[in-house]
Amino acid sequence: MDAFLMQYIDPYYLRILVLIGINIILALGLNITTGVTGQLSMGHAGFMSLGAYTSAILSLQFAAPFWAALLCGALVAAFFGFLIGIPTLRLEGDYLAMVTIGFAEIVRVFFLNFEPGGKAVGLSGIPQNTTFGIVLLLVIIVIFFNARLLKSRLGRSMYAIRENEIAAEACGVNITRIKVLAFTIGAFLGGLGGALYAHYMFFIRPQDFAFMQSIELLNMVILGGMGSIPGTILGAIILTIAPELLRIVAEYRLLFYGALLVLLMIFRPNGLLGDVRIYDLRKRWMNKEVGA
Amino acid sequence: MFLEQLLNGITLGSTYALIALGYTMVYGIIQLINFAHGEVYMIGAFVGLFLVAMGANIFLALLGAMLFCMLLGMTIERVAYRPLRGKSSRLSALISAIGVSIFLSTLMALLAQTNTRSYPEVISNRTFNLGSLELSVLQISILAVAAILMIGLQLMIQHTRLGKAMRASSQDLDASYLMGINVNRIISATFAIGSALAAAGGVMVGVYYHAVWPYMGMMAGLKAFAAAILGGIGSIPGAMVGGITLGVLEIMGVAYISPSYKDAIAFGILIIVLLIRPQGLFGKKIVKKV
Amino acid sequence: MRFKNKVRWALLLSLVLLVTMVVGCGNKQDSEEVIKLGFLGAKTGDVANYGIPGEKGMKMAIDELNAQGGILGKKVEGIYEDNKGDSKEINLIAQKYITRDKVVAMVGDPCTGLTKVAADIAQKNQVVIFSAGATGAGVVEIGNYVFRNTMLDTVAVPVVVDWMLKDKHWKKAAIITSIDNGYSTALTPIFKEELKKQGATIVLEDTIKDKETDFSAQITKLKGANADVLVFTGYYTEAALIMKEAQKQGLNISLIGGDGLYGQDLAKLGGDAVEEKVILYCGFSTDQPSPETAKFLENYRKKYNEEPDMFSAQYYDAVMILAQAMEATGSSDPKVFKDELAKVKNYPGVSGQTSFRADREPIKSPVFLLTIKDGAFALVDKIPVKTE
Repeated sequence: MDAFLMQYIDPYYLRILVLIGINIILALGLNITTGVTGQLSMGHAGFMSLGAYTSAILSLQFAAPFWAALLCGALVAAFFGFLIGIPTLRLEGDYLAMVTIGFAEIVRVFFLNFEPGGKAVGLSGIPQNTTFGIVLLLVIIVIFFNARLLKSRLGRSMYAIRENEIAAEACGVNITRIKVLAFTIGAFLGGLGGALYAHYMFFIRPQDFAFMQSIELLNMVILGGMGSIPGTILGAIILTIAPELLRIVAEYRLLFYGALLVLLMIFRPNGLLGDVRIYDLRKRWMNKEVGA
Repeated sequence: MFLEQLLNGITLGSTYALIALGYTMVYGIIQLINFAHGEVYMIGAFVGLFLVAMGANIFLALLGAMLFCMLLGMTIERVAYRPLRGKSSRLSALISAIGVSIFLSTLMALLAQTNTRSYPEVISNRTFNLGSLELSVLQISILAVAAILMIGLQLMIQHTRLGKAMRASSQDLDASYLMGINVNRIISATFAIGSALAAAGGVMVGVYYHAVWPYMGMMAGLKAFAAAILGGIGSIPGAMVGGITLGVLEIMGVAYISPSYKDAIAFGILIIVLLIRPQGLFGKKIVKKV
Repeated sequence: MRFKNKVRWALLLSLVLLVTMVVGCGNKQDSEEVIKLGFLGAKTGDVANYGIPGEKGMKMAIDELNAQGGILGKKVEGIYEDNKGDSKEINLIAQKYITRDKVVAMVGDPCTGLTKVAADIAQKNQVVIFSAGATGAGVVEIGNYVFRNTMLDTVAVPVVVDWMLKDKHWKKAAIITSIDNGYSTALTPIFKEELKKQGATIVLEDTIKDKETDFSAQITKLKGANADVLVFTGYYTEAALIMKEAQKQGLNISLIGGDGLYGQDLAKLGGDAVEEKVILYCGFSTDQPSPETAKFLENYRKKYNEEPDMFSAQYYDAVMILAQAMEATGSSDPKVFKDELAKVKNYPGVSGQTSFRADREPIKSPVFLLTIKDGAFALVDKIPVKTE
């Protein structure tokens, strides 16, 4: 499919599109933890690196098939998401954020000392199996499941926890289970995104998954609008394209990028599409068509 | 050797504490993780360096940097946070803070280039022995300045009208407003004081470790945030103790366990402490109500 | 109503983005008239101080070429995008250079890992990449379009260790690695193996992290280790700060390291703490320069009003070697001139004499040992290396 597309689309744009797709998957994972359930996670890159390294090592050392490497990467990340979910029972807000930052830093330091992962030198020669077609397919599947999830009983319980934890508990929502689940699902998608990233980049190193990467993903979720699937997608698209577009201002690029974040927040304090749900969107669309 | 390492840790920790104070004060009042705070610290260090290079005395330079950052802190608050206040969730303000942080570090990198710069030797390096402990004049000056600033802050918070208003605002912003406190002014003042302390931290790090560069704010900000959380965010004595504890933990980790795992050790202990005391060392336990 | 506005707003925004993207990149220039070269390196971010001097060296080389009438009578044009030292950015930039800008070769990156990302794309698209800084393993193995112009540590370290033991009688070494620095992590095992092979003992192994400023705990430990010499495999900023801390704690020890220590900031930051105490090896010396280097130095100082560093010299050389290969084959097609590149022998570059081995790995001879004297780099010794 990629070879076919390359005749019509410049490979440079194709690469941007793949990157957008990977970022959408990563951001949608974080959206479940932070956007929907309201548990501030500032360490999503930690899950990403677990997925990336697990899958890369499986591919390089054990010649595992691509889908198996992807799945294992996502599962390992999900397991750690489950572990990190447990402290959420006792911690909240910024204390929880600190634990997630700490977790991501510990993972990074671990890989800096991890011989099979090449330490700071990183791993290179990872087979580039992540094609545009696969990313597109996975993005569609992930969006579909996300939309179903958020509409389900589980999804609504998640929103309830974000809005008011005590009230939700009083209504019979099992807070423990759902918070841990939110972290596990978020981490699963984080690991999946990381695995795709590793098999797209050819080369990974621990510093690719540093604190700034977590922040970038968090930016996508908040900028797009907390808890909204279309919003998160839009956030991922804008923040992936913006640095490329801003190349025209050369070395002032990051200056503009920083100012852009501030301005967007001032003019759209609740994110671009705060809480717009994908099903609402469809409903509106249908109504409009009927009306016309 | 243990005592020497302990002293190394306390010196490092006192710089963390100074930055953590600003974090905690701002957080106490408006519950914002001010990510740009690390950048204020960095700019403080550069302003100090600039003044020293212009021939100013180190204490004048320290004062100058603190004054400059006071204004900077107030400006940041006015431009990037106030327009958002009351209109959005805390997290939107967080993104705005990240935007400011990226903006400021890039601006500094453009103005001062990305090289690491060094402070000239402004305080004597002379060491003398105190029993088995080797102390330097520099180390003592750093600790003294940090102590004076922290005690001064504590006195101000406890005994002045401004301090009282700050404490009131941190308990309940709306009620304080109704009591006739000009809340916006108090927030502005909080940013000014917090930023001045960060600037002092920046100048001190510059003098003690000799290195100043435009991207130093990020990591320092993260460490200071960790220190503030460890002490219980919102608590001023907590930030001081948290900062020093984190510094000592890091140095001890390097000295006796493994420098390769330095940050992992520090963060690992932090996580364990939080699991045992979810509100941090000095934080107040908040009873949640619907 | 509010909801509709939101959707409208979002649609508008996406439209604006799309349009700018298409319009912004729509103007293609005819690539027949000019020969384009793409710069790889960081101009912002925390590794910018390796990219910025490289850009200056490359710009100077291109200006000089154009002043002499370009390559094959065509004007040379450099494109200088900033990759921030980030894998994702260099990935996109390399592709952009190749398919949108139609470069014939890319020069850079200073970092091994990022070079690999770009090299993989260059190899697949049959465009030459000439790294002016990647010293780690596994770079030229990516393919026959991949070259580099650096002094290989595996070649230089045996020479340096021999000098340490025979000339200086430093038998007990302590090694400090910068744990999050790929260059340092790769160099340490080379040093360790060679030290053991030549019969030195390693009394202490320790680590630091890049861009940290507090090395007090490591130096306190080093004081107790009783080493003759400290081998530090990282970069100059940290080396200067390590020596500062050693001076602060009253420890008098020499520090030896690779060309990662070659930067003007070493002396600027280190001051008298590094004076005649830091020794480094590299392929480039401004003290007793060759005629080519002397000319380069003079021009560089005139143009930029500052001292060049190793990266400026290597980027400069990379452009000049590329130009020579294109002139020799009479073609600016990478498929053609890449084979000529591989044949380069004893090229008298400003960053030392460069030859390529049969496996396309560069050999730079001689190895210069430098130290800091009166705030500037000064030659300690010059040791030739066999080219084969």
